[in-house]
Amino acid sequence: MVEQFTTAAEAVGAEVKRFPTMNEAVNAIRTRAAGRAVAASALPPPVRSALDGLDFVPADALHTAEIGLSFAQAGIARTGSLLLALSDPAGRSATALPPVHLVILDAATIVADLSALGTTLGALLSSPGSAYLSLITGPSRTADIERVLTIGVHGPKELQILIVEEN
Amino acid sequence: MAKDVIRQKINDAFLRRALKNFAAAYPVARARAFEGLDFEELRGRISAFKQAGLRDLPELVARFTASAEKAGAMVHLCATPEEANRTIHGIIAAKGADFLVKSKAMTSEEIELNHYLEERGVRCLETDLGEWIIQLAGERPSHMVMPAIHKNREDVAELFSRATGRECPPDIPQLVRVARETLRSGFLAGQVGLSGANVAMADSGAIGIITNEGNGRLVTTLPRTHIALIGVEKIVPSLAEALDVIDILPKNATGQKITSYVSFIKGPTGGEGRELHIVLLDNGRLRLAADPDFSEALKCVKCGACANVCPIYEIVGGHVFGHIYVGGIGLVLTPFFHGFDKAEEILKLCIGCKKCNEVCASKIDIEGLIVDLRDKVRKPVGQKFLFGTLMKNRKLFHAALRAAYLAQKPFQGEGGRIRHLPLILNRETANRSLPPIAEKPFRDIAHEDNSKPKTQNSKREKVLFYSGCLADFVFPEMCRDTVTSLETLGYEMSFPQKQTCCGIPARYSGEMEVARDLARINTDVLLEEEADYVVTICPTCTMSLRHDFPKLLSADPAWREKAERLAAKTFNFSELAARKIPPIPPLSKGGAEGGGISVTYHDACHLKRGCGVYEEPRRVLTELVGAEIREMADCDKCCGFGGSYSIKYPEISREVLKNKMENIAATGARTVAVDCPGCKLQIEGGLEAAGAGIAVEHSATLLARRLGACRT
Repeated sequence: MVEQFTTAAEAVGAEVKRFPTMNEAVNAIRTRAAGRAVAASALPPPVRSALDGLDFVPADALHTAEIGLSFAQAGIARTGSLLLALSDPAGRSATALPPVHLVILDAATIVADLSALGTTLGALLSSPGSAYLSLITGPSRTADIERVLTIGVHGPKELQILIVEEN
Repeated sequence: MAKDVIRQKINDAFLRRALKNFAAAYPVARARAFEGLDFEELRGRISAFKQAGLRDLPELVARFTASAEKAGAMVHLCATPEEANRTIHGIIAAKGADFLVKSKAMTSEEIELNHYLEERGVRCLETDLGEWIIQLAGERPSHMVMPAIHKNREDVAELFSRATGRECPPDIPQLVRVARETLRSGFLAGQVGLSGANVAMADSGAIGIITNEGNGRLVTTLPRTHIALIGVEKIVPSLAEALDVIDILPKNATGQKITSYVSFIKGPTGGEGRELHIVLLDNGRLRLAADPDFSEALKCVKCGACANVCPIYEIVGGHVFGHIYVGGIGLVLTPFFHGFDKAEEILKLCIGCKKCNEVCASKIDIEGLIVDLRDKVRKPVGQKFLFGTLMKNRKLFHAALRAAYLAQKPFQGEGGRIRHLPLILNRETANRSLPPIAEKPFRDIAHEDNSKPKTQNSKREKVLFYSGCLADFVFPEMCRDTVTSLETLGYEMSFPQKQTCCGIPARYSGEMEVARDLARINTDVLLEEEADYVVTICPTCTMSLRHDFPKLLSADPAWREKAERLAAKTFNFSELAARKIPPIPPLSKGGAEGGGISVTYHDACHLKRGCGVYEEPRRVLTELVGAEIREMADCDKCCGFGGSYSIKYPEISREVLKNKMENIAATGARTVAVDCPGCKLQIEGGLEAAGAGIAVEHSATLLARRLGACRT
């Protein structure tokens, strides 16, 4: 399934890197983000604390960030898509405004196709209160001028997926 | 439709190239996107739940409203565009805002929101790249999914240079960068954001938005107030149905497996001070949903596939082929959303090829709805006499056709060839051109043959030959070849003299009552004589007898039963011929004529999509005629004839034909085999004029030649 996910994600222009442990993925992020303004959405506390020391921008300056960080709830193998449940607008902005978006994906959460994600999506939508879920597949794209595919119109120009295959 | 506008689009070299390239690329991308999926099953499911939803749309609206409000959204059901505009303006004004940042919403085009708000001092900014381009140009979308497909990079560069005050070169990546940089400040400054939605879920109150550029997420995230303007027909019961729509839409729209972004939004997110307003747009939808004849149109998921495959859209684009909603479904929705006066002209633009039906994501009979809607619009002067008086009286009609043979003589030579003969008698078209009507129609030949003594063979299956007007009066030899070849294959043939026009020209012109009368006349004529089969050589007649008669006569049980009995024994020539494979006695190999030839086969629209017949013709050609088939690209795409269409819109017809001729030439075959006299008339006319030296023959003719050669 990881193979299929990788092939599908790369086919739509995402960059995929696989890591045996979370630590290694975090280190890769540290290397990539060193010295750059970073915007992060809600990350698991251990991941967030492992990234301490990076230049995180405040919530009112997310548009100045060069790199956005997030943690996916799930992946879809058939299409190379990521599920992000980001009900906080600031967290969402962190994945929408910067030109680069780095996403950590736990290999164990990859499902076969969109319908296999139905239960997860259903649970998230039926829980009380508001919700904002996004399926993200590749970088932002347009073909609105002469149908020429062009990457990075409003969202990130670069989408990098860090798959962690722990356990 | 104004002829000069059509001509202008036909002569727009960039538009033509863009649409042609897209028409070629789309089917390939679409097929790839659907790989491993059962399209028919998926769209069957969508069609079923959409239709069920329409039956209790008010109930779905109520459930969605309750769920969305429970999640914290404010829901406004608006009956008219005016009410929706006023509501949206009210929300913006209450925030003290004077600026609206927008992502793509066809509903916003539908109610002409920008115009309404700008008049009241609210600036609107479209952020979808295509929408921004047409906003700057002051135009409307020419495609539902690719709104600016008619603009080239030079146009865009000029628009962007003017908008930004700095020189923008016509380089696409650079232009996209200009859009990113210029629009970014709009997102950040936007006090209120407006989006559409592709689907809304009644159980959770969530809405689903499908985009590629990422502007949808920004518009629904950065401004503190989000307004979603959604047509009520977008509501489905639950997530399961929504996922089917999300699954099919991008594949059918642009050939993408999934778009870059799919967002599900439930209630306002971000806590205090954040608002989500859902403006549900009725604008005739609730009434349409309850309409027994046309509700089907609301199953549309707005993927735009009907435009993507339309041979007419490919020639003229969405500024001609549609109003605000374009493509086949645009023609259908326009009268209900924008009034019949806006639809009158565009409804005539459909050529009736049914290509749209084949790809529709929710299995709407788009072509059928267009034809049915023509019944409701004003009819041209002269049409009433033609159909009401002339067509209903067979003797008068046929006498007029005979007179036309004499009348055409001084004008013969170059020119118009039309399939549905009645229209040459119409004042509107009479001065254009006349088809070459034969001196002696087949009915006279058949009458003379019938008076000769014949050996009756009671063991043979008996077939009544329903030739259709065009073959009867223009191609009598094609009728002869049909009789000869089917007799040789072992059938007993008979031609009922009282048969008359199948009624399609009347139906396509919106004269349903006349079509109904003709259906009754022909049903009686063809059931009067005992027979095993009725055979036709015109696919339009086949479709009419098989599908339209039962539908037209469905209101009366006795007539319906008769029509169904007739439909069950009606077959196209190729179907009856194919039943005699292998032939008895077997054919000798390599006859002087017929065997060993190379042909390319053109599928008639009404045979392939009207009757689902496309294998039998190929079997007849390979196994009976002994021909080798060299398939052409787009073999089942319309030749541009469409009966009277080629007379009403000769320029469009000619351009559609050009595409067909290019595909024919590319095969290298010297013969085009067809199963339709109309296609023969059209394609032959085009090839002759071009001096291509390629023959066009009905399968019946090719088969008669082959069987004749084998016998001698």
